Amino acid sequence: MSKKLLKWNEDRTLFPEKNSEGKIDVDYDSHKFMKIWHGPQHPGITGNMSLELTLLGDEVMDCETHVGYLHRGFEKLMERRKYIQCFPIVCRVAVPEPDFNEYCFASAMEELAGIEVPEAAEWLRTLVLEMSRLQSFLAWIGGQAGSLGQGIIGQWTIYLRDLILDRFEELTGGRIYHMYMLPGGVRGLLPDGFRERMTQNLDDIDKFMKDVKKVMFDNYVFKKRTVGMGVIDPAWINPFGITGPNARAAGVAKDVRKDNPYLKYPELDFEPVVGKDSDIYTRADVRRRDLLMTVDLIRQIMAKIPDKGDIRAKTPNVLHWKVPAGETYSRAECTRGEYGYYMVSDGTEYPRRINVRGPSYTHAVALLEKMIVNANIADVAGLMVSLHTYPPEIER
Amino acid sequence: MQTIIENLQKHFQVVSYHQQRENLGFLIASKEVAVGLITHLRDYEGFAHLVLLTAVDWIEDEHFQLTYLLHHPEKKVDLGVRVMISRENAEMYSIHHLWEQARTYQRELREMFGINFPGSPDVDKPFILEGWEEIPPYRRDFDTKEYSEKTYFPRPGRETHDPAEYMKKKLYPNE
Amino acid sequence: MTKLNDILSPFTAWKHVVREPVTIKDPLNREAADRYRGFHKNDISECIGCGTCESICQNAAIDLVPVDGVETKDGDSGLRPRVDYGRCCWCGLCVDVCTTNSLSLSNEYTWVDEDPDNFRFVPGAENKSWDNREKGYKKPGNGYELYSPVRESMEELEPEQRDQSFIEIVQGYSKEQAEKEADRCVECGICVATCPAHMGIPEYIKAIRNDDLNEGLRVLYDTNPLPEICGRICTHKCETVCSVGHHGDPLSIRWLKRYIADQNPAEEYKKILNTETLQPTGKKVAIIGSGPSGLSAAHYLALMGYQCTIYEKLPAAGGMMRFGIPEYRLPYDQLDKDINYILSLGVEIKYNMTIGKDITLEELNKQYDAVFSGTGLHMGRSTRVPGTDHPEVYQAVDLLRDIVLGNEVPVKEKIVVIGGGNVAMDITRSLARLQKQKFGKVDMLTTSLESEDIMPADREEVIEAREENAVIDPGWGPVEIETEGDKVKGLHVVKCLSVFDENRRFAPKFDEEQKKFFPADMVVESIGQGMDLSYLSEEFKEQLKMDPRGRILVNDDFQTSVDWLFAGGDMIQGPDVIHGIANGHKAAMGIDKYLSDK
Ligand SMILES: Cc1cc2nc3c(=O)[nH]c(=O)nc-3n(C[C@H](O)[C@H](O)[C@H](O)COP(=O)(O)OP(=O)(O)OC[C@H]3O[C@@H](n4cnc5c(N)ncnc54)[C@H](O)[C@@H]3O)c2cc1C
Ligand code: SF4
Ligand code: SF4
Repeated sequence: MSKKLLKWNEDRTLFPEKNSEGKIDVDYDSHKFMKIWHGPQHPGITGNMSLELTLLGDEVMDCETHVGYLHRGFEKLMERRKYIQCFPIVCRVAVPEPDFNEYCFASAMEELAGIEVPEAAEWLRTLVLEMSRLQSFLAWIGGQAGSLGQGIIGQWTIYLRDLILDRFEELTGGRIYHMYMLPGGVRGLLPDGFRERMTQNLDDIDKFMKDVKKVMFDNYVFKKRTVGMGVIDPAWINPFGITGPNARAAGVAKDVRKDNPYLKYPELDFEPVVGKDSDIYTRADVRRRDLLMTVDLIRQIMAKIPDKGDIRAKTPNVLHWKVPAGETYSRAECTRGEYGYYMVSDGTEYPRRINVRGPSYTHAVALLEKMIVNANIADVAGLMVSLHTYPPEIER
Repeated sequence: MQTIIENLQKHFQVVSYHQQRENLGFLIASKEVAVGLITHLRDYEGFAHLVLLTAVDWIEDEHFQLTYLLHHPEKKVDLGVRVMISRENAEMYSIHHLWEQARTYQRELREMFGINFPGSPDVDKPFILEGWEEIPPYRRDFDTKEYSEKTYFPRPGRETHDPAEYMKKKLYPNE
Repeated sequence: MTKLNDILSPFTAWKHVVREPVTIKDPLNREAADRYRGFHKNDISECIGCGTCESICQNAAIDLVPVDGVETKDGDSGLRPRVDYGRCCWCGLCVDVCTTNSLSLSNEYTWVDEDPDNFRFVPGAENKSWDNREKGYKKPGNGYELYSPVRESMEELEPEQRDQSFIEIVQGYSKEQAEKEADRCVECGICVATCPAHMGIPEYIKAIRNDDLNEGLRVLYDTNPLPEICGRICTHKCETVCSVGHHGDPLSIRWLKRYIADQNPAEEYKKILNTETLQPTGKKVAIIGSGPSGLSAAHYLALMGYQCTIYEKLPAAGGMMRFGIPEYRLPYDQLDKDINYILSLGVEIKYNMTIGKDITLEELNKQYDAVFSGTGLHMGRSTRVPGTDHPEVYQAVDLLRDIVLGNEVPVKEKIVVIGGGNVAMDITRSLARLQKQKFGKVDMLTTSLESEDIMPADREEVIEAREENAVIDPGWGPVEIETEGDKVKGLHVVKCLSVFDENRRFAPKFDEEQKKFFPADMVVESIGQGMDLSYLSEEFKEQLKMDPRGRILVNDDFQTSVDWLFAGGDMIQGPDVIHGIANGHKAAMGIDKYLSDK
């Protein structure tokens, strides 16, 4: 592999010496350093976040993640809403995958309230979560390719994602924010003809993904810029709280769907997708294969999902539903890793405290800040996107 | 899960253990032993993954609850360590040396709840908020409604009626 | 090592150059999916302005506003929801919770307008292009309910257990049942206007949910000092307008009231209601009749510090509640619980004192600062068909009173009752019990002018009477009671075609060809009661203004044209206990106003 594209300049004599903490003392007066803001308005940044980078030449010396551009204080807002009134807002915590919020919120509440969700609703929830993963992966692939200059991939995958959004629209009544899994169940059975249209869409996705593989993954340039780059050491997995594809690409088969199975996953046939090399390329490839697995899972779900049946359990009147005092944590595997809701009830009609655990919380701050040091400025966007982070779930 | 707790009881005083479900339990530890207990859970029991660290404001009881949720990657079980600390001069020992992301959590708790973690890197740096002058906003006594009413303008022209009151006015005003 | 493939493979992208484009050609006219949650629609003739949509909306996007052409009336607030699209997030919870299913979302999602204020509108009242669209989001079916439409069932004695005795039939809710039933309430308050006493219904139901029954009792006593009684036998008009009843069973408001009263022990009433000490005003009020209106007036006057004395003709208190309503519907101990509490406030009661006989109204005026009269309707009306003056033809109210007084009641083997109201059902069912006790079998037939669908009696009364083996054969007009010496042979009837004319006036039409004969050896008339004002002296009657229907005229304070005399209850505004309570309360306020001004 050509040395020129390696992530840092091999000739370290050009750089100041590291101090006892292993860092370089940044001295702006020396005029060697430069500070730039990568984001919040930067096409290479996913969402409303910015990286404050200190550069020496092309190389990043120091990085600080800044969030807060989309802080809406959801956790606090929920404290003065009745449980049912939290339902329309939880999805807004994370745009790319709103359904995980709906699911984790509903299931935490159902656990505390001792509600059992009907069979059909469990299947529909499983379906929606996998559809959500599918469209999120599709959007991400476009982002990853785009961050390295491959605009065409995004054009294809955003089209594919739109097909899934069409299915979301007819199943849930919404394209982006679905507001479909409410405490106790879901809001509708499969519409007529849904299966056929979905099957067609999945076939299209399979077909396009073959081209994506050829154009993006079997691509000299892409490989040059990603293989061996941005390696996550498997030893970091626990100290940094790394989950999802970021962990699986390092060979750690963490997948909530297998580890702590929920909904109908025990009835589905799948193995967590893992990789070995833990670099940007491997992470991308793990996600690509995970995406194909999701396509397969949706096919399995479509074969098993009932067409009839109750969609919502009998619950107390939602207008004054008092959830028994207690606390719990409910989690699910989203495309970025472990998504979870920690819910505390004090026995009233209002939640006492809800804390959202978005996987990006660890990936985009502690981990990114560590990995980015010594990266070439040109690789920052690619590296960041390869962690698949999403700021709103950090600041909520 | 039960054996883990029994093990733990040999070394620490574990209070009010509560099994929430098969693979999730909560226990209360005192402020003084908590970090030791958590270190033990991480290093000897295998709870290697810090799922989250957050706080609950029990303002009526004048304390904050800190919840350290730990996950055991092999046994696939979770244990929540609940620590009650006084609301006044709220302070807790830092665990940034145990998990890299803990500093982020502690920084957020400092900002949102006003809980200090002396020694935690950058703990005083604003995390999400910028130029915040009110009391830490996630405290129960911070009133979001009042804040928004004084900060933003309501759109004029809104007016509503309570059905029962309105019917009284219309149908039996003098009773 | 660079593979040749990695250089060539990306060129496969070129094949997409010749692919059909996938973009939508006319995105503005793309129709959304069938379930799409677009702009609101509301069928405002179905909507009742209950405001449940407003209370669930977490964005506070809905206001309830008056709308031209929509009138405020029983069961309809006259308000309609106005949606502010500056706030709405199209979650559709308002649709899911709408009590009448009038609200829905169309699948229209494009709307361009230069004036932002237009995006705040009353769906259904302001015409929109999507008003007639069929497609869009409606409340899902398949067991999807945000509150239960099904009433908690009430334990009742089986017909076999009850038809021989006068034991109370309805058992009352357990705590769990009551809380479940209370949970169904949507707290709209539509019912409050319909309740003659305007009770704080949503508030006391809420107290049940919060398991704060002391608070519940306080809410009850704000407007109703006879909750044990009303909790059992109230005509519960409130339930007919309950918004939950539009798609499901209405709340069981009456049983919930009873639950609160049942659960609070009589000994603690004074503490709970904070009536251990009352501030006396030193003024005295006389009350004639211990029916609900008299008791209610006495209660509220006592709270305001007036010394009240009730004069009662009969040897026990309660009026028609004791001497009319049968014990199996209203047990005496429950009646006494309510009455004794009122007496414990210092209200005095003088039994066996008939005004006009034992003491005159004028004397009362001299001894007291004001007088309230609630003497009710006690004289049974007769059909006046031939044969009614026969000794084996009785009046229902007389028999019911005799049952309570323990007097000898004539019970024959074959009895016919004339009347289709609740009183007719009460006498039918009471006599059926006595027949069963005496003869071991029931042979009761009850007939009314009104056909089954317009019979004034409550549906459940008719059903239960039939369960107890009484025959109810409605839709016949009595012609003659056939008699033979001291014996009654039976009742001749002809088919009644209609009871009212186009102007809703009483004008029965008959088909004389269709005849029937109901054999009987005893006939009971139960077609209504009239008032007995013989206690008013002739000269007093001259001073008193009457209304066109021959009732004493009163103003809004239930004050008669003689300023110290107030009147209420059945003789002013019936026909039930709760009206008596309401106007007894208003009269008490009126008396207070009158005496404070004096
Ligand atoms: C059989 C029957 C069943 C009923 N069932 C129901 C029911 O289920 N639900 C419901 O809400 N309503 C029911 N009602 C109607 C209800 O009982 C009456 O509307 C209500 O009792 C009227 O109250 P009131 O205050 O006008 O006086 P009343 O209850 O009529 O009492 C008047 C009192 O005044 C006394 N009195 C009369 N004249 C004199 C006098 N000159 N001196 C002293 N005292 C006198 C009488 O003895 C009596 O105690 C029923 C009525 C009857 C007859
Ligand atoms: S759709 Fe949701 S946000 Fe909009 S008015 Fe209805 S409840 Fe409110
Ligand atoms: S909930 Fe339905 S019936 Fe009630 S006001 Fe709203 S639209 Fe009208």
